[in-house]
Amino acid sequence: MCDACGCPSPSDHAHGPSTHTHSHTKTVDVHESLFAANEAIATSNREHFEEMGAVAINLISSPGSGKTTLLEHTIEALKEEFNIGVIEGDIETERDADRIRAKGVPVVQLTTGGACHLDASMTHRGFHQLQKEPGGDTLDILFIENVGNLVCPTSFDLGEHHRIVLVSVPEGPDKPSKYPKAFTSSHTFLITKTDLLPYFDFKVEDARDDALKLNPTLRVLDFSATSGENFDQWLSLLRELVAAAKKKNSLQA
Amino acid sequence: MHEISLVQGLLSQLQELARQNNMNRVVSITMDIGPLSGVVADSFRFGFEILAQEDDLVRDATLVINTTTVTYRCTGCDATQQTRGDKPDNCPACGELFLLAEGGDELILNRVEME
Repeated sequence: MCDACGCPSPSDHAHGPSTHTHSHTKTVDVHESLFAANEAIATSNREHFEEMGAVAINLISSPGSGKTTLLEHTIEALKEEFNIGVIEGDIETERDADRIRAKGVPVVQLTTGGACHLDASMTHRGFHQLQKEPGGDTLDILFIENVGNLVCPTSFDLGEHHRIVLVSVPEGPDKPSKYPKAFTSSHTFLITKTDLLPYFDFKVEDARDDALKLNPTLRVLDFSATSGENFDQWLSLLRELVAAAKKKNSLQA
Repeated sequence: MHEISLVQGLLSQLQELARQNNMNRVVSITMDIGPLSGVVADSFRFGFEILAQEDDLVRDATLVINTTTVTYRCTGCDATQQTRGDKPDNCPACGELFLLAEGGDELILNRVEME
C-alpha cells in the first residue's frame, strides 16, 4: 500500500535486517537507501501513468528559464493531436496552473509550502487530483513541472519516463558544468529562448559540449518557443515519446 | 536544501527500527553517501544536528558518514579510475574525454546502534 493515499502499490518491500546483540546495546545492519521510500512510490506512480497509457515527463530548470511558457506553446501546438495534462509544482501560488488552465487542458497546482523540490508522494497526490479533472483520466502526455531549482529536484524520481533539463540563453552556457547532476540524470537537454542569442554571450556549442561531456547519451535541442525557431524538433521529440509509450503499452497488453 | 527532507525520512526510519527492537535510544548511525548522490554530506549532518535536537530518541546519537567512491570508465579504452572527489577531466591512459560514471550515487543507512 502506498504512503500517499493507501492505493495498492506493488512495490511494498519488506526487509529483514540482520541483528546482533551486545550486553546493553543492539546493532542493526540496515543497508537500505534513504531514497527507497521515494523510489517505491515513484515505481507505483509509473505504473499508474502506464495504466492510463501516458508518457510522463519531468521538467527541471532554474526559475525563469521558460518551463511554463514552453508548456503553453506546446499545448497550443499539440492539443488537437494529444490529450495533455499538467502537474505544476511551485512553492506558492496558483499562477502557473492558471496559465495552463487558460489553454484548456487539465491541470493541478501543487504548492510545496517551502520545499525546494517535488517528491514521488506529492506527485502521487497531484496525479489523483488530476484524474478527477475533466479529461484528466485519459492522457497521452503528462507534464510534471518541477519547482524551479537545478539542484534538489534531481535527487527525486517522480515516476517519470523522461526527464528534461532546460537552460535558457540568458542564464549562460556554464550551467551543465556548475550543476552536473541535472544533466547526468536527464534524458534530454533543452536550450531555450534562442531568439535572445544575439543579445547574450552564449555559445550553443559550448553548452552542448559541456553537457555531452557529462552525459554522452543526452539529447540536446535548442529552440525558441516564442519565435517558433526550431520548435518543430521539440514537437517531433514529443511525438516520438508518445509513440514509444503506446508501442510499449500495446506489447504489454 | 533537500537534505532536510532526507534527514526527516531517516528519523522516521529510526523511530520504526527502535520500536521494532524495543530500544529507547540511538547511540550511533553509520551512513554511506556517494559523491554523485546529490546529497552534500555537510548539509546532511547540519540538518541531522538541527532535527535531532527535537527528537529524544536520537538527540545524543553520533552520525558517522562514509564517502563512497565513483568508478569512471573510459568510453575509448575501457580503463577505469576511482575517486571520492571531482570527476576527472580525461582518461589517464588514453586522454579520452568521455568517461562514464559507475556507482557513487548511493545514500545508504548502513548500521544503527541502539540501547
